[in-house]
Amino acid sequence: MPGFDFSNHNRNLALHAQGVPLPKATSTGTTIVGCLFDGGVVIAADTRATSGPIVADKNCEKLHYIAPQIWCAGAGTAADTEFTTALISSNLELHALSTGRKPRVVTVMTMLKQHLFRYQGHIGAYLVVAGVDPTGSQLFTVHAHGSTDKLPYVTMGSGSLAAMSVFETQWKGELTREEAVKICSDAIQAGIWNDLGSGSNVDVCVITAEKTELLRNYITPNVREQKMRDYKFAKGTTAVLNEKIITKEEISKYVTVQDIGDGEAGVGEKMEVDT
Amino acid sequence: MALRIVPPASHPLTTQAELGAPSAPGVHDTLRANLSLTTPAPKAQGSHFELQSTHPLESRLAQWRTQQDALQMEMLRRQFGIAEPVKRGMELHIVRAGEWTPMCLGGGFGYGGGLHADILSGRDTEIGWEDVFVGHEMRDVPDFHTEMERRFGMNW
Repeated sequence: MPGFDFSNHNRNLALHAQGVPLPKATSTGTTIVGCLFDGGVVIAADTRATSGPIVADKNCEKLHYIAPQIWCAGAGTAADTEFTTALISSNLELHALSTGRKPRVVTVMTMLKQHLFRYQGHIGAYLVVAGVDPTGSQLFTVHAHGSTDKLPYVTMGSGSLAAMSVFETQWKGELTREEAVKICSDAIQAGIWNDLGSGSNVDVCVITAEKTELLRNYITPNVREQKMRDYKFAKGTTAVLNEKIITKEEISKYVTVQDIGDGEAGVGEKMEVDT
Repeated sequence: MALRIVPPASHPLTTQAELGAPSAPGVHDTLRANLSLTTPAPKAQGSHFELQSTHPLESRLAQWRTQQDALQMEMLRRQFGIAEPVKRGMELHIVRAGEWTPMCLGGGFGYGGGLHADILSGRDTEIGWEDVFVGHEMRDVPDFHTEMERRFGMNW
């Protein structure tokens, strides 16, 4: 059976019925936001990946590349967002090569919703798709079951409520680029401080018609403090009782040394070159 | 034929009335009833796929492409008559029979490979999980030379 493998499902059900807990996937309790401005679009994300109550990664990347001018922020199951965006990126490249045109954001959105709808929410990818194409700057959200939204500002993930409160109070029409970056990073910080599933740093991606700028760790409000005391011992704490120096010349007394010269690599390490 | 977009659910819509144990009519027959979780659930009619589990997604995915093709062919039949889907089916069949992809490149199991068949079925600009994970992960795929030797009867 190609594709997804269901062969363990019945066994897992039987084990679960006998009291064995089911395994859990790493889920990024996340804050991701997006906001349109005059001439482009900004998306931003926090960088914490959680696995239950444990922080699995303090500086993970939640902004995924789809096309040079189209990027995607992902919440939900970490592996699913990663692989779904990678697959759609490949599909979009094939589509762009076939049509000979620049890919559009609606195409990405449609591909994503059709793909996710087929899997009925079992692929837990909640995405914010943003980009600039010949039709202008576009911003969409895609839920795991395949429903989509088109709004001037969007938030997703467990910190979406905290982030949305910032947008609802501070957003206005016709933002400039600086204002949009500011409001997005403020919204992410609201998620970082008020949502337990979000934390660490703020990643921002600014997409305009000319170029895409990925500002990795744009704001780092959670820098690790230097510890006040440590257990490193100063050099020379342990006394040297006995010292013996073996030079390169007399090493052949102990092992067999074969000189292979400087310029040439070892026989086994030679690179195979097709002629 | 209905114009279904998504495959029907795999669970049966009707069940057989239980007649009870042969020796005691009207009494529930525990030994014959489908109680165990490991027993596959009764399949919906018309599904000819060998499913590995009772997961609701599996039958959906297994029938997905067939369903989409059936829908397309049905719409073509309604618009152009039966000649159109028959012609397309024949073309696809001829092309499938005429091309061969080595197993080390993902051919040999129905999915994967088959550039010409992909073009005819409109999948030439598409890549999915089925194209990447073709089901060879657990088995030993013979290398190209072994496969060719076997095809031409050279393994004497």
